[in-house]
Amino acid sequence: MDDIQIANKPIMIEIKDLHKSYKMGSNSLHVLKGINFTAEEGELVAIMGSSGSGKSTLLNILGMLDSADTGEYNLDSVPIKDLNETKAAQYRNKFLGFIFQSFNLINYKSAVENVALPLYYQKVNRKQRQEKALKYLEQVGLKEWATHLPSELSGGQKQRVAIARAMAAEPKVLLADEPTGALDSKTSYEVMDLIQKINDAGNTILVVTHEEDIAQMCKRIVHLKDGVIVEDKKVKQVRAQQYV
Amino acid sequence: MFDRDTWQEIFSTLKKNKLRTFLTGFSVGWAIFILVMLLASVNGMQNGFTGQFNDDATNSIFVRPGVTSKAYAGFEAGRRVQLDNDDYEYIKQSFPDDIEYISGRYFTNTTARYKSETGSYSVQAVHPEFQIIEKTIVTDGRYFNEADFTNKAKVAVIGRKVAEDLFKNEDPVGKFAEFNGLSFRVIGIFIDEGDDNAERRIYAPLSTYQRIYGNTNNINQLALTYNPTYDLTKALEFSGRLEDLMKRRHKVSPEDQSGINIWNYAEAFDNISSFTTVLDVIAIVVGFLILIAGIVGIGNIMVFTIKERTKEIGIRKALGAKPKQIVNSVLLEATFITALSGFVGLVFAWIILSLVGPAIKTPAFSNPSVGLSTVIIATIILIVAGVLAGLIPAINAAKVKPIVALSDK
Repeated sequence: MDDIQIANKPIMIEIKDLHKSYKMGSNSLHVLKGINFTAEEGELVAIMGSSGSGKSTLLNILGMLDSADTGEYNLDSVPIKDLNETKAAQYRNKFLGFIFQSFNLINYKSAVENVALPLYYQKVNRKQRQEKALKYLEQVGLKEWATHLPSELSGGQKQRVAIARAMAAEPKVLLADEPTGALDSKTSYEVMDLIQKINDAGNTILVVTHEEDIAQMCKRIVHLKDGVIVEDKKVKQVRAQQYV
Repeated sequence: MFDRDTWQEIFSTLKKNKLRTFLTGFSVGWAIFILVMLLASVNGMQNGFTGQFNDDATNSIFVRPGVTSKAYAGFEAGRRVQLDNDDYEYIKQSFPDDIEYISGRYFTNTTARYKSETGSYSVQAVHPEFQIIEKTIVTDGRYFNEADFTNKAKVAVIGRKVAEDLFKNEDPVGKFAEFNGLSFRVIGIFIDEGDDNAERRIYAPLSTYQRIYGNTNNINQLALTYNPTYDLTKALEFSGRLEDLMKRRHKVSPEDQSGINIWNYAEAFDNISSFTTVLDVIAIVVGFLILIAGIVGIGNIMVFTIKERTKEIGIRKALGAKPKQIVNSVLLEATFITALSGFVGLVFAWIILSLVGPAIKTPAFSNPSVGLSTVIIATIILIVAGVLAGLIPAINAAKVKPIVALSDK
């Protein structure tokens, strides 16, 4: 019953036969060797794999930070192909929200300014920016910390600000690259709890991780090994709430 | 470019990096400071030169007889040429349209005495029109006039120093002083800014002195001003005609420069002008070279800054900043720092100039200052400089790949 329901949902990410190799001097390193992958709206997918498996490269291509050599990539039915920098920036801003392992907050901007930054690049006016940024900070439970600099926040708080920032532009897909990699397990679960809640609200989220327990908190796990998908399975989601 | 957010971004960036901002700006501020000071110095020299020359009307010509250096028209070399009243009348009548004012000059010395005070001074016996030619400023009393001249009146206009030396605290105007034993009435006092020696001089009517010294007609020099509507070419043409005429009249070879010398201020002034123009150009070139060093300094620091901020730029790009927006913000930042610090340098130089400038008064250097046009040009240069300084760093910044910037594993 569940499966049918999901199948009816629109396809968010569609990747067909994706290849990517890097030139290393005279050698060429084939990192992605034909990836086929589809994610529907509202999915929460964990991408797992050891280092060198190509999971970060895949995420970079999905995030339009890097381009594939061959293959097809459609994001919300928009073909992502031959992007110049300006177009890529536009799409990134419109379609994608990034969550990084090291948070990547701008250290001289306050929490609310950081959250408002994607909106600035969307040319949202100042007042609305401020309002929206505060709204998303409230959602991650950091409204009282709005004016604090990243250096005054704990790791978990920083990641929550980063999540608020990723959410602020109301992207189609959230891409999280080891979002809990720099956090202790308790804080990790808090962050995962937040990610689950965002996903519950209907957002599509891809999480790159190498931690099994984090992966189990997603709804689907994709295993990468040596540049190919070796396993793609749906899992019974473990709720992070119970560990918080 | 002018929206508030862009500027807020720039201000917050600059505010967080105060030391860097200061260091960046200093080089350009300093360069502009030096540029302005250099230009002001040249201006000061220019003022000094023209001030010295402006002592006389700039359209003045002096006819100075000397000793012939060439044999000519049956005369041997070594003959002394002597001008007299006839030359004065002759020139005056020959060039009625060319000449504005003309005066003879007769130089002598006198021992002047008033009560117990005595002093030795140079006397220039001249026509009344000489006041205008020499731009003599009479502060008390008056200059002698045509009536004094015709009557060969024993009147004198004395310099401020002469008045101070002889009359101490008394008002000299109307008093009688003895010049070489002859009683002269002081009718005026003149001043000469910047030249104390000129103020140790006494002016008296030429006619008076010619009578006193043995009823002579002799004149040492002729001074005249030409028609003020003449430009340099016409002025030179006129002084050429004057020279030809005087040399023919006194049988001096046309090639003989020492027999009769015509000293045309327009010519000398032209030389000085081109000299100061060269100085100006040198100052501008040197200033520019320093400015370039400043720009390179800014560019250098900006390149470093961009390196330091690679990650931040990567984040911004990941969040949707377009390359153009990054270029814009870096360019604006560089322009802003350059313009602001340059402006500070400019204002600083201006303050120093307005404080110190008026106090400097030597014959060769006076009142160094900069004009509005210099300030405007410097400002334009600054903005261009800022754009140039930011250009390379901005292009570097635009090339930052978010994937590289964000790789933290």
